[in-house]
Amino acid sequence: MSTYNPINALLLFFAILIMAFFVFRPSKGWLWLILNSTKTNDKIVVEDILKLLYHNENADKHLNTNDIVRTIKNNERLIIENINKMVLHELITVEGDVVKLTKSGSDYALRIVRAHRLWEKFLAEKTGFKEAEWHALAEQKEHELSAAETEQLASRLGNPQFDPHGDPIPTQTGKIAKIKGTPISELEVNTIGRIIHIKDKPDVIYRQILAENIHIGSLIRIVEKTPERIVFHSEGEAFVLAPIVAGNITVTVLEKDMTFEDDLARLSNLKEGETAKIIGISKEIRGDSRRRLLDLGFVKGADVRIDLINPLGEPKAFLIKGTSIALRNNQASKILIKKE
Amino acid sequence: MKSKSIEDIIALSNDLRWQIGDDFHDNLAEGIYADAAEIVSTTVKTKDADRKFRLDARIDKILTSKLWGFPLMFLILALVLWVTIVGANYPSAMLSSLLLDTVHPALKGFASNIGLPWWLDGFLIDGVYLAVAWVVAVMLPPMAIFFPLFTLLEDFGYLPRVAFNLDHLFKLSGAHGKQALTMSMGFGCNAAGVVATRIIDSPRERLIAIITNNFSLCNGRWPTQILIATIFIGAIVSPSMAGIASLSAVIGIAVLGIFFMFLVSWALSKTVLKGEVSTFNLELPPYRPPRFWKTIYTSLIDRTIIVLWRAIVFAAPAGAVIWLISNIYLGDESIASWMIHSLDGFGFLLGLNGVILVAYIVAIPANEIVIPTILMLTVLVSGIPGGEGAGVMFELDSVNATGQILRSGGWTLLTAVNLMLFSLLHNPCSTTIYTIYKETKSLKWTTVATVLPIVMGFVVTFLVAQIWRLYA
Repeated sequence: MSTYNPINALLLFFAILIMAFFVFRPSKGWLWLILNSTKTNDKIVVEDILKLLYHNENADKHLNTNDIVRTIKNNERLIIENINKMVLHELITVEGDVVKLTKSGSDYALRIVRAHRLWEKFLAEKTGFKEAEWHALAEQKEHELSAAETEQLASRLGNPQFDPHGDPIPTQTGKIAKIKGTPISELEVNTIGRIIHIKDKPDVIYRQILAENIHIGSLIRIVEKTPERIVFHSEGEAFVLAPIVAGNITVTVLEKDMTFEDDLARLSNLKEGETAKIIGISKEIRGDSRRRLLDLGFVKGADVRIDLINPLGEPKAFLIKGTSIALRNNQASKILIKKE
Repeated sequence: MKSKSIEDIIALSNDLRWQIGDDFHDNLAEGIYADAAEIVSTTVKTKDADRKFRLDARIDKILTSKLWGFPLMFLILALVLWVTIVGANYPSAMLSSLLLDTVHPALKGFASNIGLPWWLDGFLIDGVYLAVAWVVAVMLPPMAIFFPLFTLLEDFGYLPRVAFNLDHLFKLSGAHGKQALTMSMGFGCNAAGVVATRIIDSPRERLIAIITNNFSLCNGRWPTQILIATIFIGAIVSPSMAGIASLSAVIGIAVLGIFFMFLVSWALSKTVLKGEVSTFNLELPPYRPPRFWKTIYTSLIDRTIIVLWRAIVFAAPAGAVIWLISNIYLGDESIASWMIHSLDGFGFLLGLNGVILVAYIVAIPANEIVIPTILMLTVLVSGIPGGEGAGVMFELDSVNATGQILRSGGWTLLTAVNLMLFSLLHNPCSTTIYTIYKETKSLKWTTVATVLPIVMGFVVTFLVAQIWRLYA
């Protein structure tokens, strides 16, 4: 203990702490970098290229080698090497400058897309990850799922047709349901529609939509449309979006003579003393939470009113079927009601 | 031909599935629920449900009001803890005079009459019997008071309102409002608190509640805190203020525990428990008069006896170990004093000493026997007169005499403060660890729940010790 002094001890402690931070910090820690670098990169690069080509060909865009190198964030040499390999394996053809998918290449791409969307569906139904995290997680997982595992996942989820963003999941045979919809930005004033799809890319815009608490399945009515902003009503609230954001939300237009009920609201907007009837639970509440709410009596046609307000504002207790049930606001905002 | 028709049918079924769409299952289930609700509303008649509800609503208005909600809650919890700690003193004193002062000497006398060899006598009576007797004497009375009180509150319907009031705070740290209940239960006993997390139906929030339950200062640790605070904290202020100063120190430690509970809950929900399923809903049942005798009976059987039994099962071998390490010699040093000397350096870094660390290692079955073990080991290695002999745990009736032994064992104010911190932040007792394993069925989460608090304890006491020495 002759060399002991508190300052040295503290310095040593903080040095170890900083070291540990660099080794273990999430995603950029040295430990993870070492673990990741040992994984084979080729498969991921090939599959990313296939997916990129597939999405672009669907939008009738054709890419050349430069576009691919620019879009996929990876070692340039590695990408070129793999493009050559893919030509050899007849996954793609290069005609002049343009890279195109072959039949087997497009089948492969569909399989990756299927794995990706199924995994997003899984994350939504069976885990507690947030919406904003699904895409990035599925981007990794799609490369790890084998064909057999993908099928197992599909049957466990009940062979779903759409992923949680509203994108169709290709079937095993490569069939894809079509989305017949129009982006909100292209709708005329007073159109009534139902949200069927929310694009999860780019991330910045997707997070903005999530923050507004807009979800799939909601009925909307366009109220105002100018080059600067689009205003629409939905579930008793007014939403104001920039056209570029609104362009990422797709709706199916409903017949003109359908009545849009303006007195439809979210349970979170119910005031003390008001009574309401429950219309339904949004699709955004899934899996166990949904079943639990149904069990507790939040079913179509049930009467509901506020029983107690928390001293801190949240949660609120709702009186339903003679029982007092407390819900947090993020759940109550996903239950639709009609005020009386 | 036949196989073709089967393929046709499968293709047709796939087609149909696509036409029906994803909503089919949900719509069907919701339709059934709605139909059931309608049948109930037309056929089931309820009598005077209204009147009962009005009284309930009036109580609820007060218990969850902005003005009264929180003060009432703290008052009730403080009252329960006070009744437990003060009320347990008398039966504890009776039990310990019976088991430790009467039965123990009688057993020793009996053993020497029948000529039992000294090592067997020491091993069985000073080791195993004494540890078990100690645990029973200090653990049983507080639990037998705390659990029935708590269960009565639960039965009355008050506890769900506490969860309701506090949910927002818990939500901010990624936890469930009901964790307020398991946390309060932890003030009685962490093992019971861990069992109580069964009321949390969301898997992620339940794990958080289990892992952080140890930050509630349990019955086994309150006496340690009070004793050390009285001896060392009370001594630095004027005698008239001593009581208040040591009480505030103990309350400060308990509040610090709540702070760590929120902090760790938040960190866990943001990192390792990120992807676990999370749901929330809380039923607020109507108030009803508690079924007094039934409550007393079930809380004694379900909670007190089970926890006590587990503690005894773990205490018996620990008593044996405590006696053995103090009486087996390697060369001219007992194992205990060898362990103490090799841990002294590390203990010094943490502002503690080797005796405290060894006591926490061997007294893992129950926090109740930490102080007796510390006293015995202090006497053993420092050679101060006093005590009952090597490996025989003891406690002194006089607080001053206890303080003298500790001070001559080299204790300072820093040692005392850090012992209080370490008593809050160390691994759960073996009963709790075993219970965590039984509840989670997972070695991984059991390890996390065990290692996390002790690492935090090392870090906190280390930092306090260094900063203290810089300024002192």
